[in-house]
Amino acid sequence: MARDPKYDILFEPIQIGPKTMKNRFYQIPHCNGFGSEKPLNQAYFRAMKAEGGYAAVCTEYCSIHPESDDTHRVSARLWDDDDIKNLGLMCDMLHEHGALAAAELWYGGPHAPCMETRCVPRAPSQIPSDFEHLTYPKEMDKDDIREVQGFYVDAAKRAREAGFDIVYVYGSHSYLPQQFLTPYYNRRTDEYGGSFENRARFWRETIEQVKDAVGDDCAIAVRMSTDMFMGEAGTQLERDCLPFVELVDDMVDVWDINVSGISEWGEDATPSRFYPSGRLLPWQKAVKGVSKKPVLGVGRFTSPDLMVEAINDGALDIIATCRPSISDPWLPRKIDEGRLDDIRECIGCNICISRWEIGGPPLICTQNATAGEEYRRGWHPEKFEKAANADNDVLIVGAGPAGMECARVLGERGMRRVHLVEGQDDMGGIMRWIPQLPGLGEWARVVNYRKIQTDKLKNVEFIPNTQLDADGVKNYGAEIVIVATGGYWATDGLNGCTHDTIPGADASQPWCLTPEQIMAEGKAVPGDKVLIVDNDGYFTGVSLAEKLAEEGKQVTLMTHLGHIAPYMHFTLEAPNMHRKLHKLKVEIVTYNIPTEIAEGKVTSAHVYDEEHLTEWGVDSVVLVTQRRSNEALYRELKDSVGIDALEGEGITGFYRIGDCVAPRLVADCIFDGHRIAREIDSENPEIPLPFKRERHVIEREAVLA
Amino acid sequence: MKIVVCVKQVAVLGDEVEFTEDERDVDPDYLDFALNEWDTYATEEALRLVEAAGSGEVVVVSVGDEDAEDAMRRCLAMGADRGIRVEAEGWLDPIQVARALAEVVGSESPDLVFAGVQSSDSVQAATGGALAGLLDLPSVAVVTKIELADGKATVHRELEGGLVDVVEVDTPALLTIQTGINEPRYATLRAIKQAEEKEIDVRKPGELGEPSYRVRKMFVPPKGEGAEMLDGGAAEVAQRIKEIVQERLA
Repeated sequence: MARDPKYDILFEPIQIGPKTMKNRFYQIPHCNGFGSEKPLNQAYFRAMKAEGGYAAVCTEYCSIHPESDDTHRVSARLWDDDDIKNLGLMCDMLHEHGALAAAELWYGGPHAPCMETRCVPRAPSQIPSDFEHLTYPKEMDKDDIREVQGFYVDAAKRAREAGFDIVYVYGSHSYLPQQFLTPYYNRRTDEYGGSFENRARFWRETIEQVKDAVGDDCAIAVRMSTDMFMGEAGTQLERDCLPFVELVDDMVDVWDINVSGISEWGEDATPSRFYPSGRLLPWQKAVKGVSKKPVLGVGRFTSPDLMVEAINDGALDIIATCRPSISDPWLPRKIDEGRLDDIRECIGCNICISRWEIGGPPLICTQNATAGEEYRRGWHPEKFEKAANADNDVLIVGAGPAGMECARVLGERGMRRVHLVEGQDDMGGIMRWIPQLPGLGEWARVVNYRKIQTDKLKNVEFIPNTQLDADGVKNYGAEIVIVATGGYWATDGLNGCTHDTIPGADASQPWCLTPEQIMAEGKAVPGDKVLIVDNDGYFTGVSLAEKLAEEGKQVTLMTHLGHIAPYMHFTLEAPNMHRKLHKLKVEIVTYNIPTEIAEGKVTSAHVYDEEHLTEWGVDSVVLVTQRRSNEALYRELKDSVGIDALEGEGITGFYRIGDCVAPRLVADCIFDGHRIAREIDSENPEIPLPFKRERHVIEREAVLA
Repeated sequence: MKIVVCVKQVAVLGDEVEFTEDERDVDPDYLDFALNEWDTYATEEALRLVEAAGSGEVVVVSVGDEDAEDAMRRCLAMGADRGIRVEAEGWLDPIQVARALAEVVGSESPDLVFAGVQSSDSVQAATGGALAGLLDLPSVAVVTKIELADGKATVHRELEGGLVDVVEVDTPALLTIQTGINEPRYATLRAIKQAEEKEIDVRKPGELGEPSYRVRKMFVPPKGEGAEMLDGGAAEVAQRIKEIVQERLA
């Protein structure tokens, strides 16, 4: 199909300094866990986006010097010639697809804890980081300033040598240049602090020096946060940012505009729970109003209509995407080819970001199981090999996230027939009710995408309202059976804190409930006072607290942990979640675990002082203690019917996937369903094939010699 | 109990449509093919009645080329006992289809003949009635419920505006079956495989006569006077829709 002409503007080339982007699609700098030290993973990951039509693709933040070492988090690095070699591969592969390569030169100041290099970071003032614990910077004197500016210049030259077309002087997210611009970080009284002109000096000089060094060959990009939402202390649009744009506009080839500081950068990388697409447009438009240069920026854009609107409205010249490009690296190409219903839209869950925040692991994506697997498993998000056993018929029992994805990928791999059989009247499993939690509506895209895709696959048939028992499975007539029956919330208070049930917890009682009883079965929550026991630590407990408080209940949220929903710190949802629950007057109780639950009364103990007991008068109790696999069907088939009997019916492959193996993130369920489908023709599909590990392998003899 | 179900393999349009060079049909590259939705319900209803009777046979009959057997095999996988395909190529009007069916259906001497109310591609709702006429059978259209007793069928006939007419009809009779009369069963993989082995008898049709009409041209309908196309981004379009609704309500 052809592109809709109303999207033509997205495919017009645009000049940025000495370079030309072939269209308006730009992958903003974002982390992936690969850096400079997993160069093959890095290059293949970025190249997938170039293949998918992006006109420019960036590194993640790219350290200019060992003093800017974010370990345990993974950044790219351009410290020496070997880094040039490693990142050069990414540039070459991007160029092969006609895309420009961009390096986001980064000096972190106090936010870089230097745990690998053991250097001391430098900063405008000696104030410890508001993002990291216990990192004190050295306060820069003027020699330090010259030296660090020299690091920028040297790194920019290395970037040029590696093949980068665009070089950033990156300030956003409270990094060094913007620290100088911001009173919160800059308490100096010399010519680098105080007045706007003084606070702008470091960044201006650095841009000037980088421009002088590489500006003839590379476009100079500046990434600036235009509001830190910190009042007078933070960078402000009118007071600091628009004047700064006017000050350096002549030297800058493209502006990359966002908001927030580092400690609440969820205001920039907005979770869908709190913000819709395009939330940064007012700030981006303000910069475009004063700049003569192209302006780009993110907004978690997945809709081409919104992209066109952003350009026509004079807010952006270039559509930058981060998370939507992870969720679907072929976003531009699908718009170009008129395949809008094939776009795998980002759901804004920020599970990708959580992996950077955790520090170390490669990124993952709920929607795109192939993200980060381009090199190490050789997975292509849009291309599938015909399975060697494609003449087999497959039965998948359960159309939750794992089952849906498995059916989709097996369909793509050309299996003769795939029957996705579901007891309920529609696909989705757990993802039918999770998106009904407050703010999580966009998460339904997980189901919608798979519904549309499986519907297009002629060899995949969805069969609703059909609850198969073991006999039904055995006699179904499939050669391959995959059980994907999901999981359920424990009804007896079993939990990972005490590794035991909670005395008295019993969700068959009207006053004791589990999340799916409330959300999927419509069980009423009796009374006004509700106590939610959350030993899970992610979105379920807090979301139910929000929902029930909004319905007028008086909610107490109790966890054995030191924080409610600690995983939401990694997904950047925590700050606004805390604000919301506080506004809704939800009572937060930490370090407590119920020792007994009875109708009308819960007794809890402090986890570090077991004798410290507290009694809570409540009308109902919600158990968000732990999940369990729904493995009854699998066990019956394996243990009662037996593998031999299944083989007797022609079933040669019998596997299970997703929560019914072990409850896990939706992203991991989708990965599981995807992986077994990718490897359905391997010797034992239940055991993942080894992936390529990018590591240094030694020559023992050479070392010993 | 023997029930003959007349089924059709229908063409399903994709998102985009192109016409053949002579502009008389949709380019087959833009078509998918499937069992007509109404016929799924008709087949299910026939299976249920035969199952309830304890013995008997469901025979599916279709008119078309070999590709039409895909649709018939869906019915066989659901549980129909055998199929008869009346060999025909090219386009036929509903009367010609009824003529092609009449001889085969009549020779089976069924207790009941079912057809879907209509086919989802042509949407003429004519074949069933025409076939009843040719076979000289009483017929009831748009049936949503069937009860059999003593050589008679008591059937619910769906009327406009949610009205239901309950009529009694002598059997054999021809009923055209409405969607929603039941919840059609799904075929297991085993049943699908077994259906591949079931017999489909191929017959030559008798004289089909001339078509009573022909397609002169297919085209995308021009934009009518009353339609206003809204261009622009989602927000603009939504705003405009809001204004229009408010204007109309005012």
